[in-house]
Amino acid sequence: QNDLVVNPKDQYSETTFWVTQADALAGLSGCYNALFDCQSWFYETDMITANGLAYNATNGTDAIARGVHTPITDLITGRWIQAYRGVGRANTFLAKIGKINGMADELKNRTIGEAKFLRAFFYLGLVDCFGGVPLIVDEPNLATQATLPRNTKEEVVTQILKDLDEAIPVLPDTYSAGSDLGRITKGAALALKARVLLYNGRWADAATAAKTLIDRKTFTLFPHYRNLFLLANERNSEVIFNVEYQSPRFLHNLDYDSYLLNRPAPTRNLADVYLMTDGKPKEESPLYDPAKPFENRDPRLLQTIYPVDYKFNGRVTAANNVPTTGFGLKKYTNLTDNEAQPAPATNTGQINIIFIRYAEVLLTYAEAQNEAVGPDASVYDAINTLRKRASVNMPNLTTGLSQADMRTQIRRERRVELAFEGLYYSDIKRWKTAEIENNKPVLNYLNVVVGQRSFNKDRDYLWPIPSTQTQINPSLAQNPGWF
Amino acid sequence: TPGSGQGVLNRKISVQSTGQDIRTILTLIEEQANVKFLYSSNLIGADRKVSYTVQRERLETVLNTILKPLQISYEVSGRQIILNRLSTSLILASLPLSLVKPTEPIDRTVTGLVTDQANGEALPGVSVVVKNSTRGTTTDGEGRYRLALPENEAALLVFSFVGYQSQEVEIGNRSVIDMALTVSDKTLNEVVVVGYGVQKKVNLTGAISIVDIKKQENAPVTNASQLLQGVEGVYVNQPGGQPGRDVATIRIRGVGTLNNNNPLVLVNGIEFPLENINPADVESISVLKDAASASIYGSRAANGVVLITTKGGKKDKFTVDYNYYTGNQYVNYLPDFVKDPIQFMQLRNQAQRNEGKPTVDYSDALIEEYKQGLLKDSNIYPNNDWLNIMFNPGNIQNHDIRFSAGSDKLTYALSLNYLTQTGVLRGTDSKRYALNYNTVATVNERLKIGAFINASYRDINEPVAGVANLMEMTFKAQAFYPTYLPDGRYANTFIRTPGHNVFRNPLALADEGKNNSTLQQILLNIFAEYKLPLNITYKLNGALNKADNLTNQFVPEVYTYQVKTGEAQLIPYDGQGNRGTRQTNSGALNTTLFNTLTWEGTIQKKHNLKLLAGYSLESFTNRNFFARNEGYLGNTLQELNAGSSNPAVGGTSSESRLQSFFGRLNYNFNERYLAEVNFRYDGSSRFAQGHQWGFFPSISLGWRINEENFMKNVAWVDELKLRASSGQLGNQNIDLFRYVNLVALGRDYPFGSTISSGAAVTAYNDPTITWETTTISNIGIDASLLQNKVTFTAEFFKKRTTNILSTVPIAGQIGALAGPIQNIGTVDNTGLEISAGFRHKINSFTINVSGGFTYVKNKVVDLKGSVIYSGRNIIKEGSPINSYFLINSIGIFQNQEEIKNSPFQNLNTKPGYLKYQDVNGDNVISESDRVIQGSNIPTLTYQFNVNLSYKRLSFSTFFQGVGKVFTYTENIGAMPFWFGTSVTKEWVTDAWTPQNTTAQLPIVTTFEGSQTENYRNSNFWLKNAAYLRMKNIQLSYDLPEKWVGKIGGKKAKLFINGQNLLTFTPLKGFDPEKNLNGTNFYEFPTVKTFTTGINVTF
Repeated sequence: QNDLVVNPKDQYSETTFWVTQADALAGLSGCYNALFDCQSWFYETDMITANGLAYNATNGTDAIARGVHTPITDLITGRWIQAYRGVGRANTFLAKIGKINGMADELKNRTIGEAKFLRAFFYLGLVDCFGGVPLIVDEPNLATQATLPRNTKEEVVTQILKDLDEAIPVLPDTYSAGSDLGRITKGAALALKARVLLYNGRWADAATAAKTLIDRKTFTLFPHYRNLFLLANERNSEVIFNVEYQSPRFLHNLDYDSYLLNRPAPTRNLADVYLMTDGKPKEESPLYDPAKPFENRDPRLLQTIYPVDYKFNGRVTAANNVPTTGFGLKKYTNLTDNEAQPAPATNTGQINIIFIRYAEVLLTYAEAQNEAVGPDASVYDAINTLRKRASVNMPNLTTGLSQADMRTQIRRERRVELAFEGLYYSDIKRWKTAEIENNKPVLNYLNVVVGQRSFNKDRDYLWPIPSTQTQINPSLAQNPGWF
Repeated sequence: TPGSGQGVLNRKISVQSTGQDIRTILTLIEEQANVKFLYSSNLIGADRKVSYTVQRERLETVLNTILKPLQISYEVSGRQIILNRLSTSLILASLPLSLVKPTEPIDRTVTGLVTDQANGEALPGVSVVVKNSTRGTTTDGEGRYRLALPENEAALLVFSFVGYQSQEVEIGNRSVIDMALTVSDKTLNEVVVVGYGVQKKVNLTGAISIVDIKKQENAPVTNASQLLQGVEGVYVNQPGGQPGRDVATIRIRGVGTLNNNNPLVLVNGIEFPLENINPADVESISVLKDAASASIYGSRAANGVVLITTKGGKKDKFTVDYNYYTGNQYVNYLPDFVKDPIQFMQLRNQAQRNEGKPTVDYSDALIEEYKQGLLKDSNIYPNNDWLNIMFNPGNIQNHDIRFSAGSDKLTYALSLNYLTQTGVLRGTDSKRYALNYNTVATVNERLKIGAFINASYRDINEPVAGVANLMEMTFKAQAFYPTYLPDGRYANTFIRTPGHNVFRNPLALADEGKNNSTLQQILLNIFAEYKLPLNITYKLNGALNKADNLTNQFVPEVYTYQVKTGEAQLIPYDGQGNRGTRQTNSGALNTTLFNTLTWEGTIQKKHNLKLLAGYSLESFTNRNFFARNEGYLGNTLQELNAGSSNPAVGGTSSESRLQSFFGRLNYNFNERYLAEVNFRYDGSSRFAQGHQWGFFPSISLGWRINEENFMKNVAWVDELKLRASSGQLGNQNIDLFRYVNLVALGRDYPFGSTISSGAAVTAYNDPTITWETTTISNIGIDASLLQNKVTFTAEFFKKRTTNILSTVPIAGQIGALAGPIQNIGTVDNTGLEISAGFRHKINSFTINVSGGFTYVKNKVVDLKGSVIYSGRNIIKEGSPINSYFLINSIGIFQNQEEIKNSPFQNLNTKPGYLKYQDVNGDNVISESDRVIQGSNIPTLTYQFNVNLSYKRLSFSTFFQGVGKVFTYTENIGAMPFWFGTSVTKEWVTDAWTPQNTTAQLPIVTTFEGSQTENYRNSNFWLKNAAYLRMKNIQLSYDLPEKWVGKIGGKKAKLFINGQNLLTFTPLKGFDPEKNLNGTNFYEFPTVKTFTTGINVTF
């Protein structure tokens, strides 16, 4: 009989793992590892909006943008799986960590805080797209979890905030060891908490959370808007939470897709939103020259995108180089305007993907505070701080704005500052402007219609629950308008 | 007269017979002396009774004592002893008077010459007997006979000779009767390889197909798996003819499991990959199809068992056989693409307009420029036919040489093989070197030791990004993509096609870089057989089976240069990363050790018994490691040490074991009533303790009706047998360690510059899993009629697999874990196999026709109420396994009105788009409207052979067909403009337009632009891949011996052969013999092969 007992040589069994501190830390790294699956939570969703155009909709991004998606569209089915994979790993870790012996309480508590942050992050990715989802906080269990129905969005949000509130006190402001760089900090948990509260219209709480973080002064704006996304400036003073990429094992393809495939292709719709250097919209500013529409603009325009005839990577961009819209995206390529480097090869990108940075916290504060108490001085401060970033240096907001005017300014600022950072799609849904913004044509650099956005207000504020999930678990109710 | 083979005759045997018939005694002697008697029952009067007892006497003495009084002569040839009647004259001279009938008056004589039909040579020693009399003679050294006959007797003359078919002829009033005899391949004593032994074919009770190796003799069989083509109950699908990678998929009696459906293949008793056997070394193949035949292999036999023996030496003169063939291969099917660059651009623009896209990709100015340019500058404005550039005739050459010889003490055979092939697709080739050595030493009367050594070395070259990638990029290359610049650099077009933004010049994919696999396999198989007292034989067999595969890849850095600007663009070798070397060494070591005890005997003269008991222990070890390096200065130095950055390593190993006890009891009553019982008790390390052991019994019965007395006078029935069997088989072939929840490593994360080991549970496992059990019941009938002119076999079987193991997808909310493998339910394969053959000879003309079909119905009968969904497929009670589960397309929308009045399809649905059926009546087309339809398991397969020969000329052909099978078609070649690329011509001629409203195809749109409308998963893309194919056709000519003799040879044959020359199928544009699970068409194409060659025996 002994002849037939053969144990695996490169895997642990669940009964023998989860013993030592090393096991626990490896389990936690496994939770972080699940973040690699969430690449499409980043700027992919900007291509569902008028910010960008996805010519090749392998995963259904363009289908969602055109309103022709289905409950089996990859981007939708993928998000469900990516999020629950992360949730499951965090749940396993949190269920097992108590049994680990010989681990200092401080370290143990910190790792619990990290796992709870990650669980909150993954759940936010679900509720933002699907609304309420099954809320599971125990380790994966086929017997008890297979047929759980959806909880309400409020229940899930409550859990997210609970996790973050429990994480904040046990997480450090910074990590000193080089081998800990990139771990979740107190600031990340506070920033995520502010985002969750903002998304749920809890203005005062959101403002408080953001203000708490601002006041801690852990993070500052990086002086150069374009360069804050370059490889050389990874983990700079503005970065609150990023996913770590590192050659040769942990790579993405963003720069190749962007530079060689023109995906994402920024749009004229986005370019037109950038203010003129005098702080006025192009429609109102005397500086606007329709023949040179991208001159005298908020410097963030040309620090974010490059149009035809503008230099990028040492060459003057030809229409053929950016065939989809006539614009290319600079963010998340490691290329500069004037220096010619070899075009990125496939799957060689290693720039960390920033999920939360300090600029967002300022914008969250401004928006929440404006909604909660109106445009007080701290709101102006927050926005003006962004505009005074060295490489941006735009004029201050004109004073005396009404709450509604300030709202318009904040939303424009937010769209511009955070363009192609995966937040705009969530923004237009929570602002309930998607039904307007996302029912317009998409324009290329010459103002020619190259695509159409379509948004059904009775259906598209939520994605359908993937039918791959509803068929396995029929107790999952489908969202309105979906079958 | 005792001939040679004194060693055999010196063996000591014991006989105890009180009135048993000679047949029984001879069988007894065969077992004791390890000899084989060859005789015709009628001729020697095998049911004559003999009483004779002797202890440990020399065989020669025993034979002389028994046979002489019966007027039977014998001749030893190797371990065969040929029995014959003594000639009439001798009979008359030596018979005791009492045994001879009173002699009748002799009035006339008949004389004649007996020859071999095949070569016309005289046959000495042929027995010529007057039917139903003792009167007879044998032919002399020149093949002549003279026989005295009584006057006026309306008699028949019977000519018989060992190894030849007996012939009867009416004498009439002729005085000269010449006769040509045909070699018989259906003698009563033909034996068949079965599990752990051999069995006389006539005594088989299970369903076993014996592969007629001769049928494919001289066909360019590059892979031994192809030898199984045309065997009843076996479905052989050979997708693609890539050199070195042309192993066929083999399914025996349908698809019984959701896991690995490959049969167990054993070579000389040891599990061995079929593709590593040199087809020329194969001596015999038995396919064990039912539980009765296969259950001795227990837990691995559920998909059937293929038993192969390799050619050994014969006790014969030293013989050298040399076979050679050479030929060319051509692509069978390629999609019929629109090739004209202008037409392509216009059509793609049209497609984009049709789908409502506001812009098109090719401007009118560009199209005009290209039109003009085509006439002027073929460097910038080429018009290339990329299919012609990339697909070229492939060459194939094969040499086989075999040396064999043998004496009483030692037999051996050594064969060598060299096969070299270039593929029809640029950048593919392969070589194979193989050696097979079989030897058996008879140490003494009790001990026999032998060894089988099989070694092969294969060397395969492929494109570094893979064949599928090269096929895809070739299909994606439009006519306007250039080949080379005038200076020889790889060229790139100036035209940008979104969806195919980066041109991977197929020439560079095929010609640059390296992807070389060397596969070595060595099987050392040794055995010893020892005769214990009480007639028990002990056999010990041990084998080492080692595989070693080294893959050596080099990803080059190659650029294309734009034809107008000269701008360089790196060619991505998809999935291969940066320039660098990657070497992977994977290996397997399987060891087998088994012991058997066999006993054979006869009780009370009519009860024949055979017993087998055995024990085996097998272990399977796999290991692999890889190394990678980057940072190379150029493309020339490719060793690992020539790189300088990003080195990486990896590797692992795993092991599994199988421990088994097995046994068999054969019983027959007078070779008339047959029974067999088998069992195997298997323990597998793939399951948790307590679930490891499985017991697999079987029983089978046979009734040889022709042996009944009431059938003795039915002259037209040679053999008629009824068989029935039932038994159980297992399947343990699932991933290792699926019974325990594991924490997988490698889920690492880089913090700062430090990589932190990460671990995670990735799959849910079920510790209670155990075997799949397949119960097969089989009823069969075998008939052989009209002097074996007509043969017929029918089998009805029911194959029920219970506890079927399947990965059960679980709800994503459970940590998005891969589902557990569980014993989920029961699947039935019910089927019918019928085969028939006819052979006849008229003078020098021989015809031999055979054919058969297999019908298998696959049905899931129990899933404990659950339904398993996986992508486009579904597993549900009442339907075949993995049936397609798709939306119904019910035509094409003709106008906006029709769309408005139909259930909501999709926002972008337009006239000309596919119309889907609202099955659930909710007025919306959704995934809930899917219905079960079609299966990729063929229900009906059939094949037939025709062999004709006239004198020295032979013609043969073999057809294979599949009645009905479905395949899903998508991507390039099926769906127009898939990611910026090709479209087949039918979309020009047969797509819907406002004018062409009855078209078969919807309005032409691009894949990207209507993915969720026309290209969503629907049965529109489900195609019937039924076919009938002429797999092989051959013409051969035996050279006259006189000519061959001049070069010192004995025999020589010239032949020409064609493969896959004709195909009939409803599937358009693509080869139906494809991987049916595959949905795209990037696989290596199947090939037509023409070869010519020669066989010479020295």
